[in-house]
Amino acid sequence: MNVVELVEEIVKIVKDTVPEYVVILDEKTSTMLKIANGQPSVVQSWKEYWIDLYAAKDQKIMASSFRFSKPEEAVQKTVKIIDKLQPSPLYAPLPDPSGKPYSLVDKTLEEMAITGDVTRLIEDLELGELPNSAGAITVSIEKRVLRTSNGADLEGARTHFNGYMRIFADDDSSGQWSWTSTKYDPIQAKKSISTAVNLAEECKKLPREKIETGKYRVLLSPMVAGNLIESVIRAASGASVIFGMSFFRPDQIGQQLASEKLTIIDRPLMESLPGFSTFDDEGVATRDKPIIERGVLKTLLHNSKTAKLLKAETTGNAGIIWPTAFNIEVVPGDLNDEEMMEVLGNGLYATNNWYTRFQNYPEGLFSTVTRDALIVVKNGKPAGCAARARITGSMLDLIKNVEAVGKTRWPIEWWEVRLPSLLPHLLISEIGITSE
Amino acid sequence: MVKEVQVDPQLLTKAVDKALEMGAEYAEARYHRVTGFSFTLMNGYLIGASYMDSTGVAIRTIVNGGLGFASTDSLEENDVLESVGRAFKGARASSTIVKDRIGLSRERLGNAKYEVRQQKPIGSVDDSEIITTIQEIYKSLDMNIGIDVKNVLLGFTYNIEDKIIVTSDGAFIESRIPRVNMFYSITAEHGGERANRWNQLGGTGGLELIEDLKLKENLEDDLRSLKIYLVEAGTPPRGKMDVVIGPEVVGLAVHESAGHPSEADRVMGREAAQAGLSYRRRMKTGEKIGSEHATVIDDPTIPGSYGFYLYDDEGVPARPRYLIRNGVLDEFLHNRETAYAMNTQSNASARAKEWWAEPIVRMANTYFAPGDYRFEELIEDIKHGIYIKKYMEWNIDDYRWVARYVGLEAYEIKDGRLVRPVKNPALEVNSLEFYSSVDAVGRDLEFQAGTCGKGEPGQGVPVWFGGPHIRLRGVRIL
Repeated sequence: MNVVELVEEIVKIVKDTVPEYVVILDEKTSTMLKIANGQPSVVQSWKEYWIDLYAAKDQKIMASSFRFSKPEEAVQKTVKIIDKLQPSPLYAPLPDPSGKPYSLVDKTLEEMAITGDVTRLIEDLELGELPNSAGAITVSIEKRVLRTSNGADLEGARTHFNGYMRIFADDDSSGQWSWTSTKYDPIQAKKSISTAVNLAEECKKLPREKIETGKYRVLLSPMVAGNLIESVIRAASGASVIFGMSFFRPDQIGQQLASEKLTIIDRPLMESLPGFSTFDDEGVATRDKPIIERGVLKTLLHNSKTAKLLKAETTGNAGIIWPTAFNIEVVPGDLNDEEMMEVLGNGLYATNNWYTRFQNYPEGLFSTVTRDALIVVKNGKPAGCAARARITGSMLDLIKNVEAVGKTRWPIEWWEVRLPSLLPHLLISEIGITSE
Repeated sequence: MVKEVQVDPQLLTKAVDKALEMGAEYAEARYHRVTGFSFTLMNGYLIGASYMDSTGVAIRTIVNGGLGFASTDSLEENDVLESVGRAFKGARASSTIVKDRIGLSRERLGNAKYEVRQQKPIGSVDDSEIITTIQEIYKSLDMNIGIDVKNVLLGFTYNIEDKIIVTSDGAFIESRIPRVNMFYSITAEHGGERANRWNQLGGTGGLELIEDLKLKENLEDDLRSLKIYLVEAGTPPRGKMDVVIGPEVVGLAVHESAGHPSEADRVMGREAAQAGLSYRRRMKTGEKIGSEHATVIDDPTIPGSYGFYLYDDEGVPARPRYLIRNGVLDEFLHNRETAYAMNTQSNASARAKEWWAEPIVRMANTYFAPGDYRFEELIEDIKHGIYIKKYMEWNIDDYRWVARYVGLEAYEIKDGRLVRPVKNPALEVNSLEFYSSVDAVGRDLEFQAGTCGKGEPGQGVPVWFGGPHIRLRGVRIL
C-alpha cells in the first residue's frame, strides 16, 4: 500500500465518525552513519511511517500518533472514545486550507537514503582519513501527505542532508561543528568538518587558561547561538505562553525586548534548509516571518488553537497542539570573523555547548555548559584554551546584550540544535560565567 | 502469559537465518511494540487525548567487524527480510574502513518469557474514567494558598511494551512491561515574580499506580514548595559550607555523575559527539572517587520500578550493578558490544526505546545506597549550611565532571536547625568533590521517575533515580 492509499484508508474510518479531522502521514526513509573513534560505529537505516491523526467533535479533541504501518485499530479507538471526552478549552475550528504542495528532492540524496549505502558518503567526505573523530551523518527523503475534513489535500517531499563532527586533537582539545541542507552538499560538509579540525588544533596549540567565575564578554559561535536561540523560539510558541513555560507574554508584542542588532526570522520557505514546508499541520500556507525584528518582539507562533486563546491569527506554524518554527534565520551583521574577535577584545569565545536548562521558565533563568574549544581572547586574539564552563543568567538579558552580529553564516543542525538554522556569530556584551 | 503479540516468532528466526546466510557473523531480530493512551489537563480541563501505537521489527547484523542496524514498521515478511538486507549492506559498507572490529561478548543468554503483573490491568477501566479520576484529584487540591496559581499542566500516560528478541547465538526473550507515567508543570506568581515546578511520577504495573504514585500528595507538596519559594524565601548564603541534599537531588546527582559516566560506550567514545565522554576515561576502576559512605547501585530488577526489566535487549539476564562501592569506582554499565571491546562480560545494560532504535548502554534504576542517619542527625552539627530539598535547574559537562544543581525549595541551616527558606542556591561541584564530601547518609530511600535521554536518534527511556538524604561537607554554593 502506498502512502496515499494508507491515508485514504484512515480517512475512510474517521470521516463518518467525526466532523473534523486532520490526517498527516510522514514517510521517512533515511540512513545514518555514526562515527566514533575515527571509524564507523554503526550504520542505521530506517523506513517508517509516522501517522498523526487529529479528530474533533463537539469541541472535544483527540490527537493520536502512530509509528506503525497498520494503525487501523488505534484509529478506531481514537474516534470511538471521542464521545466520552469533555470539550477542550483549546478547541478551535480548523482554519481554511491555503497551503500548496511542494517538492524539493535531491535525487542523489534520495538514492542514498533508499539504498542505505554509505560508501559514497565515506568516499566524498574522506571519512577514512579523519583524525580521532565522532559524529553522525544522515541522509533522508521525507514525504508528507495531509488531508483535512475541510478540504486540504496536500503532499510534500523534501530531502535532508545533515551531520556533525567532533574532532579530538587530544582529550582536552576538541572542536565540533555541523551542517544541514536540502541538497547533497559534500563541500559544505567538508568545510564544517575542517572548522571542527581547526578549532581542535587551535585549542591544542594554545596555553591552558583557568577562568574565574564572573561576568564576561562572550562570542557565541553559530553552534551555541543556535542552541540558545532555539530556547527563544520555544518560548515564542503560543503553547509555551499558554502553558506557563515562556518568558514572553502576549502583551509584550511590539515591545523592544532584545538588542536592535538582533533579528530572528522563521523561514519555512527557505529552500536551502530542511525544515522547508509550504503548509503547516493544519493545511495553512506557511510564510516567512520575523519573530524578533531589530530587537522588537513581532509575533508569537500560532496554530488556530493558540491563536484563539491568545486572540491572534494563526501564523501558519501548526503543530496540531504545539506551534513550532520550521527553519530559523538570524539576519547577518557586517563584521567578518576576525572583526568580531577584535570587537570582542577581551573575553571568551564559546564554540559549542549543551545541556541548557531553566531554573525558572517564566523568568527565563537558565544555565548551559560549554564543551569543546572555549577560547580565551585577549586584545582580539586567541590567547588560551579553557576547561568547560557554564554560561548562566537570564535569556531576556542575553538577547538584550547582543552587541554585534557576524557577517558569515552557517547552516546548523545537530543534537543540541534541532531546528535547521542559518546562523552567524553573536557577541554578547555581558553574561555570567561560572567555572570550577 | 504474554498476550496480544502480533508477530510470529518464526519470522524473527527467519530474519536472523537470512542474515547468517548472507554472511553475517551475528544477527538479531527484535519485535517491539509500544501501545498506549495519554491525555493532558490544563487547570483541570481536558485539552486533548491521544492513543499511540509504535510497532515494528529491528534488525542488527555484524559483517566483517562492521555493525549495521535497520528497522521497519511493517510486520510483513518481505519488509522484514528487506530490512535484513539493509542492515547487512550498512554493516558491510562500514566494515571497509573499520580499524577495530566490532564484536559481541559471549554470554549466558536467556530463553524466557516474563510479564509484569498488574493488580488493576490496563484496559479493565474505560479510558474516559481514568480522565475523570485524574480530574477528581485535581479538583480536590486547595489552590487558595496565598499565591496566584496561574497554570497547572497535568499529563497522564499508560503504555504496554511488548518485545520478542531472537539472536543468532541463541537468545529468545519474550516480555510484556506495562507502565504508568504522570507529569505536571505548575506556574505560579506572587508579588510580580513568577516561578514554576515540573515533576514526573512513574512505575511499572497497572492502573493501581494512579493511587500508588501519590499524585495528589505530590501536587500539594509542590504547591507548598512554590509558595515557600515565592513568598518566604530570601537570598541564600554563598561560599563553601556544609550542604544536606534531599533524595530528589541525590537521585539526580547519582544518575548524572555516577550512572552516565559509568556507561562503557561513553567511556569508549561511542557517544562522544552526542552525550559526550566520561571522567572514567581518566579515573580507572578501583580508583577512589569518594568517601566510604558513597555507594551507588544501578538495579533493573527492582519490582515496580520505572526502569524495570529482567533481560536486556540482547538477551542477557539483569542484575544489580555496583558503580561506586564504598567510595571506589566499580563496574561499568556494559552491553555486549562494549564488553567485547573491553574483554569482559555484559551486565545487561542494552536497552532500545522502540523498534526504530538500536540497543545501547543505558541505566535502569540508579540510587545512592542508604545509611543509618535520621534527618535531624544529619543537620544537628551543621553550624552554617544549606539544605536543598528540591531542584529545578541542573546540568553537567560532557565529561560528567562538574555539575550544577539549583534549589527550588531550600533552607539555610544555622546551629543545627533550619532557620529560613532560601531561593536558588546553586550547588556547583565536581564528581570527586561530591562523593568525597559525603560524611553521613540517611536511612530513608526515595525514588524519582525520569526519562533519560541518549543516542542518535534520541532514545528517551524510563528510569528511576533515588537515594536518601546525604550530608556534604564544605562544598561550594554560588
